[in-house]
Amino acid sequence: MAVAEEITEAGAADAPRRGNVWRRRLLTHLAIFLAIVTLWETGVRAGWLDELFFPRPTDILVSFWRIYISQGNVWYHLYISLGLVLAGFVGGSLLGVGLGAIVGFNPLMRRFLQPYVIVLEATPRIAVAPLLIAILGFGAQSKISIIVLVCFFAPFINTLSGVVNVSPEKLELFRSLGVSKLQTLRKLVLPDAVPVIMAGERLAMTAALTGVLVAEFIQRDVGIGSLILTYTRNLNMASAFACIFTLTIIGFAIFKGMEIADKRIAFWNHEEGRERLSARRRRAFEAKGRA
Amino acid sequence: MTNTAKDKADAAEVVVSGKGVGKTFAGGSVVALEGANFDIERGKFISLVGPSGCGKSTLLRLVAGLIDRSSGELKVHGTSVKGPRQDISMMFQKATLLEWRTAIENVLLPTEVHRKPTRDDRTRALELLGMVGLKDFAFSYPAQLSGGMQQRVALARLLQTGADILLLDEPFGALDEFTREHLNVELMRIQADVGATTLFVTHNISEAIFLADEVFVMTSRPGRIAKVVDVNLPRPRTLKMQVEAEFNHLVEEVREALGAF
Ligand SMILES: Nc1ncnc2c1ncn2[C@@H]1O[C@H](COP(=O)(O)OP(=O)(O)OP(=O)(O)O)[C@@H](O)[C@H]1O
Ligand SMILES: [Mg+2]
Repeated sequence: MAVAEEITEAGAADAPRRGNVWRRRLLTHLAIFLAIVTLWETGVRAGWLDELFFPRPTDILVSFWRIYISQGNVWYHLYISLGLVLAGFVGGSLLGVGLGAIVGFNPLMRRFLQPYVIVLEATPRIAVAPLLIAILGFGAQSKISIIVLVCFFAPFINTLSGVVNVSPEKLELFRSLGVSKLQTLRKLVLPDAVPVIMAGERLAMTAALTGVLVAEFIQRDVGIGSLILTYTRNLNMASAFACIFTLTIIGFAIFKGMEIADKRIAFWNHEEGRERLSARRRRAFEAKGRA
Repeated sequence: MTNTAKDKADAAEVVVSGKGVGKTFAGGSVVALEGANFDIERGKFISLVGPSGCGKSTLLRLVAGLIDRSSGELKVHGTSVKGPRQDISMMFQKATLLEWRTAIENVLLPTEVHRKPTRDDRTRALELLGMVGLKDFAFSYPAQLSGGMQQRVALARLLQTGADILLLDEPFGALDEFTREHLNVELMRIQADVGATTLFVTHNISEAIFLADEVFVMTSRPGRIAKVVDVNLPRPRTLKMQVEAEFNHLVEEVREALGAF
């Protein structure tokens, strides 16, 4: 935190110093990373770690090369899994946000659905997965529904609370302006809930990644989850680790992506976002004035 | 000058009138307002002053049509108030700006919810922002503005509605003394400019007198209009008038009516 503040407070005149801070931090990170990898490698070579379960980092690197380049088999599985993640995430989000908005905006519905929401919240959603497979059979549709199920809840509950917690003052303002219910939903309630909804979407995205793995562990045919399972069963741990680290990178990319999406969509909650949009609005206006 | 001549001609026109207006809450157990009788003439600036809980906000919300009265008759422009209407506009203690809209987009909101804003609407909105001293902040988001500036945007939005009756419920109550005095002076100037009939709620006796043509002095339990004090100070008013004998005399009169001596 202290370092971050130091950086944001540094002015243009401090640019060289800021560059130094960055370089020092990068070097530190690199040093720690290399130390861990070296410790791991020597640990295996010296026999402190069982090579059966902890392959050497160099072997993992070789596996990376194999599954991505020489054999290149991971691409197809990644394509399948990420396709499911996307489909499930979009489906679960739309369902969650839509139902959350409807239930949140409708007090009567809220009263009667409240108990079920609580029950649903208390039940681990993943427990229903085998049931879904029994109903829908093996294949993409049951996998997608598992992901939809695990994705649904965070956007739903966040949209619901976002919609319910609109400030009464703003609602009164809209009422005094004689705005219709639908317009109030569109122009006040939903935009007001956007930051909370985005927080829900971030949780949903993480859940989607976990969901696809569980779905593929249960029905082992294609996908990165199935691949990990196959490699582990064949005691090809180096390749299993290569897959796991792939997921680490994807998870990180998704996390960053959602952060960027949040800054763009809920821009008014972020200083840079406000300044960027404010400047753009002004430019657009001035351009119109000249035309 | 034609303005004052016109003012005199319409002086007798009553735009808001209440006959025995009452409001109870909680199934009748809380009497928020009882037997309010008043006539408000076109273009007048009315201050409502009284202790907390005496029904000032309730009276305003009744006139705005945000709540239904429990008894009596309340007319605006000769028709009975049945709900929110376009010739009345209200401003609250909090600025209640939409954070995802720039200042000008916030000012345009009242127009936008009824029809697509035209070029004229945008020009008018910019004009109003200029009027409240925010010409250079038209494209700023609320989070980029100070509390006082946000309240000015809300004031511009209030005027954008084009309503000829303005209701202000402690609009500058959350601001510091300097900003508040400054905005009060601006409000008076703008109100005289657009000629809107204005009801202004405040806790502050001097502020109430300084702004108003008439002060409705309200007392609590049950909430009622105890007295109407006419303020015959000349306009335009200056902050200096507040130390003159005539002003202090009026303060005394209001305090007396409040039973606050
Ligand atoms: N929605 C409501 N439900 C129940 N009681 C209410 C409601 N609104 C107001 N009251 C009651 O009516 C009375 C008058 O309230 P009101 O808000 O009009 O007072 P006020 O003069 O505006 O006070 P303040 O100066 O503190 O804003 C109070 O006793 C209050 O408790
Ligand atoms: Mg009040």
